[in-house]
Amino acid sequence: MEKRELENRISDYFDGLLSPAEVAAFEKRLSTDNDFRTEVDEFKVLFEAIKQEKKEIPSKQLAKNFEKMLQQEKSNQVKVVALASKDNGRFQYLKIAASIALLIGVFLVGRYSAQRASNHSLMAAQQEVLEYKEATLISLLGNESASKRIQGVQLVEEFDRPDEDIVGALGEKMLSDENTNVRLSAMEALSKFSYSDQVKVFFIQALETEENPSIQVALIEILGQLQEKKAVGPMKKLLEKEDTQPFIKKEINNVLPKII
Amino acid sequence: MKRTITTVLLLLTIGLCKAQTDYSKSLSGVEWVKITSKSNVTVMVHDKNEILIKGTQKARSSEKAKGLRLVGVGGTVNTNVGFNVVQEGNDLIVTNLRKNESAKIYLPKNQKIAVTSTWNGGISIDGFNNEVEATCELNGGMMLNNISGPLTANTLNGQIDVIFDNISQGSPTSLNSTNGAIDVSLPGNTGADISMSSWNGDMYSNFDIKSSSGDNGLRKVSSRKTNGTINGGGVSISLKSTNGNIYLRKN
Repeated sequence: MEKRELENRISDYFDGLLSPAEVAAFEKRLSTDNDFRTEVDEFKVLFEAIKQEKKEIPSKQLAKNFEKMLQQEKSNQVKVVALASKDNGRFQYLKIAASIALLIGVFLVGRYSAQRASNHSLMAAQQEVLEYKEATLISLLGNESASKRIQGVQLVEEFDRPDEDIVGALGEKMLSDENTNVRLSAMEALSKFSYSDQVKVFFIQALETEENPSIQVALIEILGQLQEKKAVGPMKKLLEKEDTQPFIKKEINNVLPKII
Repeated sequence: MKRTITTVLLLLTIGLCKAQTDYSKSLSGVEWVKITSKSNVTVMVHDKNEILIKGTQKARSSEKAKGLRLVGVGGTVNTNVGFNVVQEGNDLIVTNLRKNESAKIYLPKNQKIAVTSTWNGGISIDGFNNEVEATCELNGGMMLNNISGPLTANTLNGQIDVIFDNISQGSPTSLNSTNGAIDVSLPGNTGADISMSSWNGDMYSNFDIKSSSGDNGLRKVSSRKTNGTINGGGVSISLKSTNGNIYLRKN
C-alpha cells in the first residue's frame, strides 16, 4: 500500500478492520518507516484516550430510589378497569401499524443523535491532530537543519486549507530562508494555494527579491497562469536587469502578453 | 652521540614543519561545521573527534608572504593554514581565505556539515553518515560519495554527482540545480517518494517508479515532472534542475 493510503487507514488498523494481508503490510511499514511510526503512535495515544473515557455508571442508590418511587407511584394510581373494546379489526391493525412506525421513528432519531455525537468527537480528535501538526510545522521551520525545514514545509500538504499563520510562516521562508532548496520548496508548497490573495502577495514580493533563477522562472510561470497584473512591474524590471539569465528573459517575454 | 643529536634535531624540525602545515581543533560542543571556500574544497572522514585542515604544498612555500599574515574578506587568518576558524554557539565556522588554493579537511564520520563554495571551486565530500548541506553558489560542481544524508544540495551552474550508500529516512533529501545536471545513485532496495523535474532537460532512471498521479485514473500531462514511489515509498527525495538533465541510478 502507498504511504498516503496507509495513513488513511490508521484508524481502521486500531479498530481491527484491516484484512490480514493489509495488517501485514501495515506492520511491515511500521517497522521500517520511522515517520510513519511516529504518526501511528500519535494516533494510538488519541485512540487510547478515547477508549479510556469512562462510561457513567449510575450508583446503586439511584436504582433503589427509582424502584421506591415507582412503587409509590403505582400505589397512588387509581385502578383502571379495561372496557371491552368496541373497535373493529381494521382500527386494531392501524394501531399496531402506528406503534411500529413510532418504534422505528424513535430508533432512527436515537441512531441519528448517537451518530452525531460520535461525529462530533471524531471532529474534535481531528482538530486536535491538526493543531498538533501545525505546531510541529512551525517548530520544524525554525530548525537549524535545511532538511528539517523542508520537512516542515512539506507538512503543509496535510492541510486542505492552511490558515493565515501557516501561509505567513511559509511565505516568510520563501522570501528569506538562507538555503535555496528551502525557499524553492516553500514556493512549491504555496503554489498549491495560489488562489489565496495572501499567497499572491508573497509571490509578487518574492519575484522582486529572489535572485536564484530556478525560483524566478517558476514564479514567473505561476504568476503568468494566474494572470496577475501586479506581477507585470517586477517582470519588466527583470527584463531590464543585465544579470538576469537569458532563459528567464525568454520566459518573461512568453508570459507577459498573456497577462496584459 | 653527535649523530644521535643531529638525528633528533632533524626529526624535531620535520615535526615542526609538519605541525605548521596542518591545523587541528577539538569538536567538543560543536553540532554543525560550516565550511566556506572560494576554491576547491575536499571534506573527508577520520576517526578523531577533531577538525584537521591539511596545509598544501603552496601554503608552505609562500616565500614572498614570509612574516606577513594573510588578510581576507572573511576576516583575518587565525590558523597556520590560511583559514579563519571560529566557534559561534554550536557552529564551527571555517572559512578558507586563500582564493586560489584548494583545501583538504578531515572530520568525524557522524559530523553534520554545511559546505559552501562561493566562486569557481568545486566541492568533494566522502564518507559522512549524517546531515550534509552543500551549496555551489556560482560555477562549482559537487561530487559526493558514500553518504547517507539527509542531503540538501544546490548548484547554479555546476553538476551535482551523488552516490548514496544508504538513505536516511529521517528527513527529506533535496537536490536542485539551475543549469547543471543531477546524477544520483541509490541502493536498489531504497524505499522513497521520488519527485523529479526538469524544465529543459531530460530525465533518466532504471528504477521502477510507481506513479502516484496514476491512482485516480488521470494521466500525466507534463513531461517536466515525475512524482512517484520506489520500493513502496519512504522518505521524500526531490531532484530538480531547470536546464540540466537528471539521472537516477541503481547502484
